[in-house]
Amino acid sequence: MAVIELSHISKYYGKFAAVKDLSLTIDKGEFYGFIGPNGAGKSTTMNMILNFIKHNGGSIKLFGQELPEHDVEVKKKIGYVPGDVRFYSQLTVQDLFRYTLEFHHLKEDQKELDNYCELFQVDRKKKFGELSLGNKKKIAVICAMIHHPQLLILDEPTNGLDPLMHARLFHLMKEKQQEGVTIFLSSHNLKEVEDYCSKVAFIKQGELVGVEDLTKSRQKVKIILLRGRSLPIDEMKAIGAKCITQTEQEARFLYEKDLQQLFSVLASFAPRLDDVTVENRDLEEQFMSMYATGEARS
Amino acid sequence: MTLFKMELKTHTKSLLIWIIVVAVLTLGLVALFPSMKEMGLQQMDLKSMPKEMLKAFNLSDMAALTTIEGYFGYEFQYVMIATGIFAAMLGLNALAREESDGTISYLYAQPISRLSIVFSKMLSNAFIYTVYWLATMVVSFIACLMFKESGASVSGLLKDFSLLGFTGWVMGLTFLSVGFLFSSWLSSSKSATSLSLGLVFLTFILGIVGKLKNDYDFLVYFSPLEAALPGNVFKNGIEWKYEMTDFAVLIVAALLTFWFYRRKDLKV
Repeated sequence: MAVIELSHISKYYGKFAAVKDLSLTIDKGEFYGFIGPNGAGKSTTMNMILNFIKHNGGSIKLFGQELPEHDVEVKKKIGYVPGDVRFYSQLTVQDLFRYTLEFHHLKEDQKELDNYCELFQVDRKKKFGELSLGNKKKIAVICAMIHHPQLLILDEPTNGLDPLMHARLFHLMKEKQQEGVTIFLSSHNLKEVEDYCSKVAFIKQGELVGVEDLTKSRQKVKIILLRGRSLPIDEMKAIGAKCITQTEQEARFLYEKDLQQLFSVLASFAPRLDDVTVENRDLEEQFMSMYATGEARS
Repeated sequence: MTLFKMELKTHTKSLLIWIIVVAVLTLGLVALFPSMKEMGLQQMDLKSMPKEMLKAFNLSDMAALTTIEGYFGYEFQYVMIATGIFAAMLGLNALAREESDGTISYLYAQPISRLSIVFSKMLSNAFIYTVYWLATMVVSFIACLMFKESGASVSGLLKDFSLLGFTGWVMGLTFLSVGFLFSSWLSSSKSATSLSLGLVFLTFILGIVGKLKNDYDFLVYFSPLEAALPGNVFKNGIEWKYEMTDFAVLIVAALLTFWFYRRKDLKV
């Protein structure tokens, strides 16, 4: 069942397209990463999903219900952590928890709240305005979870968190995912996306440039770096390697076919090469190649 | 209801400050009445001043200044201007501040519609203004009772304050509502103070022009302050033609606020 269905949505500011004809489907229980460089349209997309801003054309469905018509109904099922957490500075942390629950017509589950506060080491008596960036983020995370949402939308949730809190947050997210919660995560931290997400969408200049299932193909795709005075470019291309970058004495290839064939070519050209590196393509590599070369829609 | 409570909680401090400042100011000004009366205010020769100027500042009838109502009516008009600014600022900040402070990213992530946001904020800010105005009226009435001249009728004073309470309440709600309309357009509250000052003083000046020039007397309809000034209310009672205009402006501004805010892109 699709929890988020974006169909050909766009957002224009005058003639500038912040998001252009973007379509995306996220199923229930997925831990879905959303990555792209600054200004690519990640936050704009999230803001359209949450109806902060109106989309120009296309349709947005959450839990099968069209937005903005069913805005209030779907928000009962959503927890949102904004990228820049700026809640009411004059309210205490406890007030914020209480009001969040009141908005959802829920009573405070003291035990659950205690657990969250202990997990994230939160002082409930402090005023929100007195907290550090990391502590503000923790409050936003707890506020996003205390009403037991079925969808968590997280915009850079780990900004300002120390490594211990970072690990605890993702451990908790994994637990929530196993309980069936869908998680939509926008992040610049490719390592956390790679470690925790099951799928990842790449956005560039407002357009979706790729979607990768991280549970499947990662190990198969290799990045080969060759250095030497005479590089076997044509031979590598002949076995299906795709040349990503090439200079006079260095070439990088993307390869996802038979390894025996690859090593046989490399062995035959070994005397002419100064250095050979073969490694799995990680997300960072994929990100860099995609944004450097404008890799086509997959 | 939750947002209503949140609004009250976040505004309590500023409300108290306004009430205390206005109460102290009013008490201080009214406390001067006995000594001013003894100084012989009515003897002041203002004949050399242009009549229009005296009319503009509600000083045409100097003899009236020897009564507590006349004196209060004159000095309290400046508090009324401050009250108009307070009401306009409440409205102007109500929606725009959520965006400039970034708190909208919390508020609108909750299961609440935009119409509910506007409605709850209108209710809570109208309540805040009402509390402010009631407190101001009670303090003013007590001050007038304390320092009134001997022989002044308490029941007459009570009746006049009831009328002033109503007209001042309508005036404030009108500025509040127009403030909300501006707020639904703005995505930052940075200009809220200057816009509030501009709105109140512009309409105040329109009222003065309308009062001085017969050809432009229709301008008084655009001045919520003019119809609510104690000097006018104590003299003419409630002028319903102006009150109805205020009500019309209030309702139209409120409806337009709903319409604009529903279609707005919120700055997160």
